[in-house]
Amino acid sequence: METLSRQGRAVRVVVTALGALLLLLGTLWGQDDDFPFGPFRMYSTAPDPNADAPDTRVEGVDTAGRTVVLTEANSGLRRAEIEGQQQAYIDDPGRLRQVAIAYADKSPGAAPLTTVRIVIRWEGIEHSRPTGTSRDQIIATWTAP
Amino acid sequence: MSGIVGWLTEAVPRGRIAAFRTLIYLFVAADLVIFTPWVRHHASTPGDLYKPLLVGRLLHLPTPTPLLVHGIFWALLALALAAATGRAPRLLGWAIFALYFEWMIIAMSYGKVDHDRVGLLVALAVLPTAGRARHGDPTRTEAGGWALRVTQIAVVCTYFLAAWAKLRFGGLDWVTSSVLARAIIRRGTELADLIAGVPYLLILAQFGIVAFELASPAIFFLRPRWRNYAVAFFYSFHVVTFATITISFAPHLAAITSFLALEKVRPVAWVRGFLARRRGEVKEHERPVV
Repeated sequence: METLSRQGRAVRVVVTALGALLLLLGTLWGQDDDFPFGPFRMYSTAPDPNADAPDTRVEGVDTAGRTVVLTEANSGLRRAEIEGQQQAYIDDPGRLRQVAIAYADKSPGAAPLTTVRIVIRWEGIEHSRPTGTSRDQIIATWTAP
Repeated sequence: MSGIVGWLTEAVPRGRIAAFRTLIYLFVAADLVIFTPWVRHHASTPGDLYKPLLVGRLLHLPTPTPLLVHGIFWALLALALAAATGRAPRLLGWAIFALYFEWMIIAMSYGKVDHDRVGLLVALAVLPTAGRARHGDPTRTEAGGWALRVTQIAVVCTYFLAAWAKLRFGGLDWVTSSVLARAIIRRGTELADLIAGVPYLLILAQFGIVAFELASPAIFFLRPRWRNYAVAFFYSFHVVTFATITISFAPHLAAITSFLALEKVRPVAWVRGFLARRRGEVKEHERPVV
């Protein structure tokens, strides 16, 4: 059997304790910014059982007048990444121009976008179950000058 | 105390480390091209949208450029495939850990942090310390045992601390909230729509999720046979999650294999044995006794 030296064992114990401590601190007080020691907060919020649910999408209108839904495949940006910076887009809709640039870069040959907007589709929820009804709300728009 | 230290460094066969190493590094290669190919899209994302994580700011990591992103992608792919053979475990292992960590910082620095890969990151951080290991070698190693143990702890933390995060961000109301209904609206499958139609089933599922997450550390107290059943339950949980809200947690699934007796899975040896037998060779115990 291959055994560890006294020192090798001690270093491993200290590293384990330190890693566990950082994870614990991250869980109690950390934020996503503290990756990889941030809290495991996937699906950790508790929305009201009767509150409408937001389903966000980003869409653009190109020079041909077509409306295009912007996806990871055609813009290189994930929906959750847009949502993560949502407030920054609301405060400064001009940032959406960067999304139009990302789309042009990722979809060569496609007609350029003249408008980019973030739309939230509010899906009805009652007693923690979807009702099948919805309404759209535009929260940020950028239009090419 | 010595009991805990003994548990942390409980020896495992070197063959298990060799198999785990091959599996993890092959996963890294697969992750680059199959599971999270979108990271490479950030090569063309405008730098203005890059919001580096704390660790990226502390290390003064550069804003990703096409050269940086494509350079890391190809280097990581080549090194991961080389490391999967078990050669140069320290040199290749540390290089892969550093590159994959930076790859993840790039991935998570555009507004969304994923929570499915702490187990994998721990595995990548400790595999270089497990030393050389040949497939099928029954010699037991404490260094290798520690590497597997801390990966297992990270896997269990991903569940147990997630329950804690639910209490912190959602409170006790989480179990009766509309969190699963929201998830289904955002990315639900037809199966999920079917489940959502049954009154109270989603709320029951929420109680079940918290109970499972809180109970997950019990896996360390189970006998090997029951531990395998627990691992099967972990996987089944993720099968259901994928079938309903299309979230795979793939890196975590790779890390869960740290609980298994992987040394018993010898595909290369099986193929060799099969080919040898087709050529008419027989093993010692297969010779007729005369």
